[in-house]
Amino acid sequence: MAARRALKAVLVDLSGTLHIEDAAVPGAQEALKRLRSTSVMVRFVTNTTKESKQDLLERLKKLEFDISEDEIFTSLTAARSLVEQKQVRPMLLIDDRALPDFKGIQTSDPNAVVIGLAPEHFHYQILNQAFRLLLDGAPLIAIHKGRYYKRKDGLALGPGPFVTALEYATDTKATVVGKPERTFFLEALRGTGCEPEEAVMIGDDCRDDVGGAQNVGMLGILVKTGMYLLYKPFLKQDGRLHNYLKNVLCRNGRVLSTLIPFLSQSKNKMGLESQGKRQ
Amino acid sequence: MGAAQGRAGPGASQRKGPTSQALKDEKDLALGEGEGKDSGLKQSQLKVRFCTNESQKSRGELVRLLRRLGFDISEGEVTAPAPAACQILKERGLRPHLLIHDGLRSEFDQIDVSNPNCVVLADAGEGLSYQNMNKAFQVLMELEKPVLVSLGKGRYYKETSGLMLDVGAYMRALEYACGIKAEVVGKPSPEFFKSALQAMGLEAHQAIMIGDDIVVDVGGAQRCGMRALQVRTGKFRSVPAAGSESDS
Repeated sequence: MAARRALKAVLVDLSGTLHIEDAAVPGAQEALKRLRSTSVMVRFVTNTTKESKQDLLERLKKLEFDISEDEIFTSLTAARSLVEQKQVRPMLLIDDRALPDFKGIQTSDPNAVVIGLAPEHFHYQILNQAFRLLLDGAPLIAIHKGRYYKRKDGLALGPGPFVTALEYATDTKATVVGKPERTFFLEALRGTGCEPEEAVMIGDDCRDDVGGAQNVGMLGILVKTGMYLLYKPFLKQDGRLHNYLKNVLCRNGRVLSTLIPFLSQSKNKMGLESQGKRQ
Repeated sequence: MGAAQGRAGPGASQRKGPTSQALKDEKDLALGEGEGKDSGLKQSQLKVRFCTNESQKSRGELVRLLRRLGFDISEGEVTAPAPAACQILKERGLRPHLLIHDGLRSEFDQIDVSNPNCVVLADAGEGLSYQNMNKAFQVLMELEKPVLVSLGKGRYYKETSGLMLDVGAYMRALEYACGIKAEVVGKPSPEFFKSALQAMGLEAHQAIMIGDDIVVDVGGAQRCGMRALQVRTGKFRSVPAAGSESDS
C-alpha cells in the first residue's frame, strides 16, 4: 500500500453506518456534524439497488442528516453512467423505486441486462428472459454482487446470488458497478480531487466497504453497526467471510464501534476474539 | 437392473455377453431421432441404460411420458438423481428442506423432512422464486454445517419455448450466498456414472455415453473413463456454446 498522506476526504457508507432502514444509528448525526466541522470533504457512497437518489435524500433529511444531493454517489448512478457510455438499451431487473434514476434511458427491444435487487422480478420466467438476452450477447451490468442483507424478518438474498446464477449459465462475467469495485471508489473520489491515499472509507461491510477501499489504496474503517452485527453468528459457517474479516483486521487494525470513537481519535485495536464479546 | 436383465419382451433373452454398452440421456431420445433409433439400439446386443439428470419428474412419470412417445423403456432402466440423493440422505441421516418440483416429491416419500438439516435443490421450474430461494438460503444459514445437495448442475436446457436456466444456475446462487460448495448428485459426477455402470455390471471402458450436453454428458462420461458421443439435438449448438468449457 502506498504511503498515507494527510487526510482530505472521507467516504461514508449510508445503510448500516448512518442509518438502518428508517432509524438513524445512535450518535451518527452528531458524528457527521463533527466531521463537517473539520476541513475534510465528505461523500456518501452506497450500494443501493432499490432507492433512487431522491428517495435516499428524503430519508436522510427526515433523519436529520445534513447531506446534499451532489454529495451522494450510488451504485445506481454508476450503472446509469455505464449504460450511457455503452449506448445500450437495458432490460432493467431493478426495483421499481429505482426507476427514476434511469429516467430517459431507452429500454424497449433490450440488448443489455441491468440487474439489481428486485425480488418481485426474480422469478423463473423473467430470469429466463434475461438469460436468453445474455446468451445472444447482451452485456450483464450488475448494480452490485452483495450476498445477503438484513431485513426486519432476518437475512435475505441480495442481488449477488442471482448475478452469479446468470454468469454461470451463460459463462460470462457481469460488469459490477457498485462497491467493492475499484471504479466505484475512484469515481466517487473523482469529484473531490483527492488521491486514494488521501481518503478513508467508513462502512459496516468488511468486504464491500473496507476491503474495496483498501484495494484502491484508501484506508478502510469498519464500524461495528449494521452488517457487522450480522457477521459474528455466521463466522463459523462462512469460511470465506471468516478469513476475509480476519484479513481485513490484520491489514488494517482499526475497528470502531461507532463513528464517534473514530472522530475522537480513539483507536480501538481489537482482534476477532474481543469482537466476539460484543455479541 | 441393467437393460438386458430388467426388461421383458421380445429380444431380451437373445442378448448375451455384450462387449460394448450404451448409456443414454433420455431427453435426446425424446427430442431427437425418435423411436426408430431407440429400437435399433435396443434390438442390438448392447445393454442400454438411461442416464438422466431429469429432476422435475419422478422416474415413474418420466417413463410414462416416454412410453407415450413410443419409447420402450421401463423404470428399472433409468438412473436418475432423486433416487441417488435419497440414498445419500438415508446413509448420512440428513433431513432435507426440499426446493424441488412438485412432480418429483413422490421420490422423497420415504424421507424424513422434519426439522431440516440440509437443503436438496432441483430444477423446481416456477418454484424457483425469490421467496423459495430465500427460504432455502435461510435454512442453510441457520445450520452449523450447511449441506446443499443439488440434483445436477446443468447450466441450461431446451424446452419447446426456448432455452431455460437449469438447476446449476440456482445452485451457484445458493453457493455464492452462503459461501459453501454444493454436493452434486447426477451427471457429470463420476459417482453417478459409476452407479449406472454398476447397475449394468460393467466397467467404464465397456460403455459409451450418448447425450447432447458437451460438459455434463460427454465430459462427465469421459472423465469417468467412458467413451462418449454428442448428438446434434437438444441443446447442441453449432457454435461453441456458453459454458462449453470443462467445468470441474
